[in-house]
Amino acid sequence: MANTITQIIESAAAVAKGMSVTFKEMMSPTVTENYPDEPPKFEERYRGAHVLQRDENGMEKCVACFLCAAACPANCIYIEAAENTDLVRISGGERYAKVYNIDYNRCIFCGYCVEACPTDAITHGHGFELASYNTSTLVYRKEDMLAPIPPGARPPVIASSGTAANGH
Amino acid sequence: MAELVSLTIDGRTVQVPPGTLVIDAAKKIGVEVPAFCYYEGLSLQAACRMCLVEVEKMPKLMAGCTLPVAEGMVVRTETPTIAKARKSTLEFLLTNHPLDCPVCDKGGECELQDMVFRYGAGESRYTEIKHHVDEKQWSPVVYFDAPRCILCYRCVRICDEGMGVGALGVINRGVVSEIAPNKTDHLECDECGMCIDICPVGALTSGAYRYKTRPWEMQHVGTICTHCSNGCKTTLGVRNNEIMRGDNRDQSGVNGEFLCIKGRYAFDFYHHQERLQSPLVRKNGKLEPVSWKEALEAAAARLKAARDAGSKIGVIGSTRTSNEENFYLQKFARLGLGTNHIDHHRTGDVVTLLDALSGQKDALATTADLYEKPAIVVLGADLALEHPLLSFQIRANFRHHQARVYAVTEKPVREDKYAAAAIRCDAAGELAALETLREKLANEPELVIVFGDTVKGDAVRKLVAFGSSLGKPVKYVALVDYSNSRGAMDMGLVPELLPGYRPSGQTGMSAGEMVASGDLDMLYIVGANPLEGGQPLGGKPFVIVHEMFLTETAQAADIVFPASSAYEKNGTVTSVTGEVQQLKKAVQAMGTKPDLEILGLLVREMGLAAQIGPWTPDKVFQEIRETVPGYNMPLPVIATGGAVQTAPVNGRIEVDARPDLVRSSRDGLFTSGTLGRYSKVLNSVVEGRHHT
Ligand code: SF4
Ligand code: SF4
Ligand code: SF4
Ligand code: SF4
Ligand code: SF4
Ligand code: FES
Repeated sequence: MANTITQIIESAAAVAKGMSVTFKEMMSPTVTENYPDEPPKFEERYRGAHVLQRDENGMEKCVACFLCAAACPANCIYIEAAENTDLVRISGGERYAKVYNIDYNRCIFCGYCVEACPTDAITHGHGFELASYNTSTLVYRKEDMLAPIPPGARPPVIASSGTAANGH
Repeated sequence: MAELVSLTIDGRTVQVPPGTLVIDAAKKIGVEVPAFCYYEGLSLQAACRMCLVEVEKMPKLMAGCTLPVAEGMVVRTETPTIAKARKSTLEFLLTNHPLDCPVCDKGGECELQDMVFRYGAGESRYTEIKHHVDEKQWSPVVYFDAPRCILCYRCVRICDEGMGVGALGVINRGVVSEIAPNKTDHLECDECGMCIDICPVGALTSGAYRYKTRPWEMQHVGTICTHCSNGCKTTLGVRNNEIMRGDNRDQSGVNGEFLCIKGRYAFDFYHHQERLQSPLVRKNGKLEPVSWKEALEAAAARLKAARDAGSKIGVIGSTRTSNEENFYLQKFARLGLGTNHIDHHRTGDVVTLLDALSGQKDALATTADLYEKPAIVVLGADLALEHPLLSFQIRANFRHHQARVYAVTEKPVREDKYAAAAIRCDAAGELAALETLREKLANEPELVIVFGDTVKGDAVRKLVAFGSSLGKPVKYVALVDYSNSRGAMDMGLVPELLPGYRPSGQTGMSAGEMVASGDLDMLYIVGANPLEGGQPLGGKPFVIVHEMFLTETAQAADIVFPASSAYEKNGTVTSVTGEVQQLKKAVQAMGTKPDLEILGLLVREMGLAAQIGPWTPDKVFQEIRETVPGYNMPLPVIATGGAVQTAPVNGRIEVDARPDLVRSSRDGLFTSGTLGRYSKVLNSVVEGRHHT
């Protein structure tokens, strides 16, 4: 008899302990994200789609050194370099990236490119909605990744053929 | 041979000839002593202090690049003292050096980067503002960024000693010392880019390659320069089917470290905007782009009809196409078209030379001979402009071996400066002038005679007789113009001779006669521009042309096939000294085909495939090796990028090969026949000269 009572008490205690966890968790704030009904929250160092940064003057930071491409284990960064001139001045250095593509079919978000960049030009942003039905849209061009020109900064010089002609 | 000196380096004993420098002795046993200013083959500078070594019984560290070995010397190259010295040397070099590596063209293959990585400090203690000077453009080819310069003077020495130009010098002193060009703010020089190549850092950069890519991004394809006949190996840096630069990074060719502007930068014709990309057929008087199929069918039908009707067909070959293409072309002409009117632009009298030398052994000089033989005669040619590599070899020979050089030329030449004798005379007087040197030449133990196109026919025989009369071993080079001028002759692109200088037993029209002739029915021209300068055709033949561009000849054609350049095909070419080397395909130009393939497709279209044979470069070269005297060379040497001299004919060549037709175009440093017109870099140098 005593045995049965002990058993009941023990079971009740176990249920109470279990439920206490449940009730405690019910009271604490939810961790589960309500994505896509609400925007997701990111840790600061989350490695999402890349952003190509600009300096405080609005110039592109990338100088087309190809180090990110060399560091990339997935070999998904493609760059074509060109020289800055007085008429076309895109980056702060002597050279800029005329073409800068990242192929997100292959990128594994390892962050090596960011580590390699000597000018802090390439960073991981928080963009993650990259899915697509068409893989060809997964090759991001420079224009897709460039940060906006900061307010008040003079944009890079890109002489149209008109201004070049006026110069003479 | 003098006694060897033995010494100990890093605990290992090495034996070297007396006078050897410690840095070279160390290299012999695989010990690398870091160095900037030391460069094998150039004079000693001892400017950088990077090569310091410890020598027992010597109180201070010694510069390994200027210290000759001594018996019993004990040298150490890796000690804490040396490590500290290297670190300090690098710190000094970096005081004013910009942090440019990410944008610097040299980044990734920079000797300073490598040294700092290995021996330098991790952090800079120098916080003062660095001395800055803006980058300057000295010529279309050469740019100079002074802050990156480490003042090793390699550029100054290679230009002066190697090139014999001496366009670079040093101005100012101390931290503001700078390399300066010969015309105050710009350069007027050979534009060879040797200084850029030899610069250990990114101070000298080239207009062609600047800021375009990075060294590790390229594939490197070693092939042979398509411009002059000297046969320099140029390594093309290719990225995404685009040639980024030319250099000779492995220095494995007959040219060692040498390249002139054409081999280094004038590859740019290949993507000239006027490059033909589609076959053209004349319709209603106008050349219209058509498909390959249509053009091949039209050409085949015409050729077949002409052959079957027994019409007169002329064939003109190229001085830049490969041996395989030349061989196949003459086979196609002789067997397929049944014509012996076949020729090319002859630029040197090789035939008479080979004939005159019949029975002699080892009488043809190689490129290496010009560097090694104790005496060289230059007859009627301005080598520095027309044959830059040969000229470079002779200068190096003088520098390293004190060779005696005899220049017998019409105008002053670069060789005069160090020549044992320099004689001026006109073309007709060359042999007479040589005669005045008889005594001196007879005293030479060995001799190489290099002669230009003014010595032809009987003059060649007289020259060889003169050489033989000296009673010493004499070797010869008959100068020819273009990358495969020699190969065109060897492969029988002349009426009188079959491949390998076997008489064809027939005569035929020369190229000039074919163009001028009024009764030719068809003219088949591969990669040549006989109508250069607007000279009209004598008659109204149906003209088929293989070309890269719409040249005067292509404009006069009825069918034009867009051809690949030498950088877009495999095969072999034969240099001015008869050295056979391999062409390797670096890129593919849109819409073009190699001449061999065009001929092959045409042969197939005409139903002659069984008769003329396969048209892959390998198979044709195999056939050449088996059937052409002199070309049975070891395949592995060729296939691995080496050079083999063709064996001499060694027997009389008993035909009249019409030496009077020999005429060199005398292309200089900045011209290259019709092809040169399409090189932006060559044109920009020439234009630059007109402006100043
Ligand atoms: S993003 Fe950075 S590492 Fe990549 S090319 Fe630009 S500067 Fe170089
Ligand atoms: S010269 Fe060498 S060390 Fe100097 S910036 Fe260029 S790559 Fe860097
Ligand atoms: S390009 Fe050649 S000739 Fe001109 S300065 Fe440099 S080494 Fe001298
Ligand atoms: S430019 Fe280059 S080769 Fe010339 S001294 Fe300076 S570092 Fe040396
Ligand atoms: S010397 Fe002749 S073969 Fe050599 S790089 Fe110059 S043009 Fe080419
Ligand atoms: S290499 Fe010896 S001092 Fe420069």
